[in-house]
Amino acid sequence: MRALVEARGIGMTFRNGDELTEVLKGVDLTLQPGELVALLGASGSGKSTLLSIVGLLLRPTRGTLSIAGQRVEGLSDLERAQFRNRRLGFIFQFHHLLPDFTATENVAFPAAAPAGAISPAMRRRARDLLARVGLADRMDFPATRLSGGQKQRVAIARALMNKPELILADEPTGSLDRVAAEKVLDLMREVNREDKATFLICTHDEHVAARCTRRITLNDGSVDGA
Amino acid sequence: MFAFTVARRYLFSNPSQTALLISGVSLGVTAFVFITALIGGLAIRLTNDVTANSAHISLEPETRIARVLPSPDAELESVAIISTFQRLQIRAWKSTVSLLQSHPDISAISPQISGSAFLVKGEAVSPVAVTALDPAFIDAISSISTEIISGDASLGADGILIGSRLAENLGLSSGQPVLLRTDRGIDRLLIVRGVFETGLQSLDERVAYLSIQTARPLFLLPEGITNIEIKLYDPGGARELATFLHEATGLRATSWQEKNASLEGALDAQSQTGTLIQTFSLISVLIGIASALSLSANRRRGEIGIMRAFGVSGAFIAAVFLLQGLLIGMVGAGIGCACGFALCSWLETLTKPDGTMALPIAPGEGGYLVVFLLTTIGAVLASVIPAWSAARLDPLEAIQQ
Ligand SMILES: Nc1ncnc2c1ncn2[C@@H]1O[C@H](COP(=O)(O)OP(=O)(O)OP(=O)(O)O)[C@@H](O)[C@H]1O
Ligand SMILES: [Mg+2]
Repeated sequence: MRALVEARGIGMTFRNGDELTEVLKGVDLTLQPGELVALLGASGSGKSTLLSIVGLLLRPTRGTLSIAGQRVEGLSDLERAQFRNRRLGFIFQFHHLLPDFTATENVAFPAAAPAGAISPAMRRRARDLLARVGLADRMDFPATRLSGGQKQRVAIARALMNKPELILADEPTGSLDRVAAEKVLDLMREVNREDKATFLICTHDEHVAARCTRRITLNDGSVDGA
Repeated sequence: MFAFTVARRYLFSNPSQTALLISGVSLGVTAFVFITALIGGLAIRLTNDVTANSAHISLEPETRIARVLPSPDAELESVAIISTFQRLQIRAWKSTVSLLQSHPDISAISPQISGSAFLVKGEAVSPVAVTALDPAFIDAISSISTEIISGDASLGADGILIGSRLAENLGLSSGQPVLLRTDRGIDRLLIVRGVFETGLQSLDERVAYLSIQTARPLFLLPEGITNIEIKLYDPGGARELATFLHEATGLRATSWQEKNASLEGALDAQSQTGTLIQTFSLISVLIGIASALSLSANRRRGEIGIMRAFGVSGAFIAAVFLLQGLLIGMVGAGIGCACGFALCSWLETLTKPDGTMALPIAPGEGGYLVVFLLTTIGAVLASVIPAWSAARLDPLEAIQQ
């Protein structure tokens, strides 16, 4: 089976004035379609950095990366944006919903923005997704009227809107209590199983890692036991 | 366009703040309209004051001046002085008048004989500028008959109308005889038929009106006249028409603007002051918009970051802010124009105790289209900086903050 993500020798050095911080020192990472992978490591070990590189939000200082068989280093900013829009989904620790839009509109956003408007089909899909994350009774709520856990579930639904092959989640349960976190985790496992979506989840949480299909640990800028 | 939907939501997201911003814009636009209408009204009033009682174009023979004639052998130059003693007159004035009568822009024509003379009453002698005109059209250029304070405006064959100050200086009143001595050295006893008062000292002290028939022998002009005074339907066109008439008749044509160059200067200075105020009111409007949108862009960093992460282009984000600027500008300018018009219309109705307008404001002269376009375009330009900074926001930084 062809790998969904193939990263080879990814290096990332941040420069702040004269000070260089080498965060990633040649990371190799391969994700197969349908995997649910936990990315572990001490705080500051570079988890978010690696996730951003794989999510095409950050360009590595060296290394090669292909996603779904496509080499992505050469893409322009606009092409990377289009790639993110069509093929990737994001879930962050802080949901960042658009506060002036309803739950449904937030979910439909990744489809509506490039299309120019929310079509009835988009609205239907957004509502189906909201029903699926257990928010059937909150579809027309403004984003600001939802609880933290509910917002995070809307964010998951939003990440699924364009049927991405790869979903990148950075501490998705980091700001939720145990019960809410459990729900979000179950949801991600369900999407992984049923939609065959591949997940790369950054987490500190052993409990989360234990329920993934595989774990990768970043240590001193390289991967242990990938 | 989805950017438009987002822009609208952003504006409605905090209605009171948006309302405040729009009121600020409207207020600036209202100030602009007010000052424009005031300056426009003032110009109209001054122009009216100047043009109401005087000719818009005067036609006279070209003044004869010393001319330098080019000599064939370039070394020498000969100067030919043409006699200035010869009376300047328009002989073919009847054909000129009929030419003028056919011109659609001209509302009144008055052929005149103008000359210098003295009025003699006993020991008292006073210089006067005589204007001799057709008594049937005495009010063609300035409404003399409405300014008569004693007697009447019927000139007849031996009548003269004089100003109130002149009458006072010479101890004259209507019905009394007075001797007129022209610069041709001819004397004639005339009867003061009426005394007028225009309120302008120079006129009331120095001007006398005669019938043109009475004046002919006095100025030795049996057929010719000295000048033709013209009024137009639109005084604004005087300069252009004067040029045309000069070319058509060969006469010197002087527009009222040329005669009142100092008025033009004053109006220019005034409109420059106005431009300064207008510019400042627009700039303050634009700074308001730029700062409000910059604050909004900063407050929404997280959302903008997530939109970017989900593949929305920088152009989309920029459009969201440019469209907000456009909407604020258009709505603010629209409301401001309406308020400005209402304010000026109200001010126009205010009168001083004597019944004249308190402010020479012209609500029609508010420059509405100009201020609407300037504000709208300016508002879009003012949102370029916030739009640009929002568009180039690094999504990662914004999300992780
Ligand atoms: N833009 C940047 N400039 C300089 N250094 C950076 C930048 N972004 C991240 N770093 C550094 O890179 C290192 C890794 O950061 P990263 O956010 O990837 O860690 P992490 O493993 O996600 O940590 P945490 O578990 O606390 O979220 C940190 O030391 C951080 O200070
Ligand atoms: Mg992190």
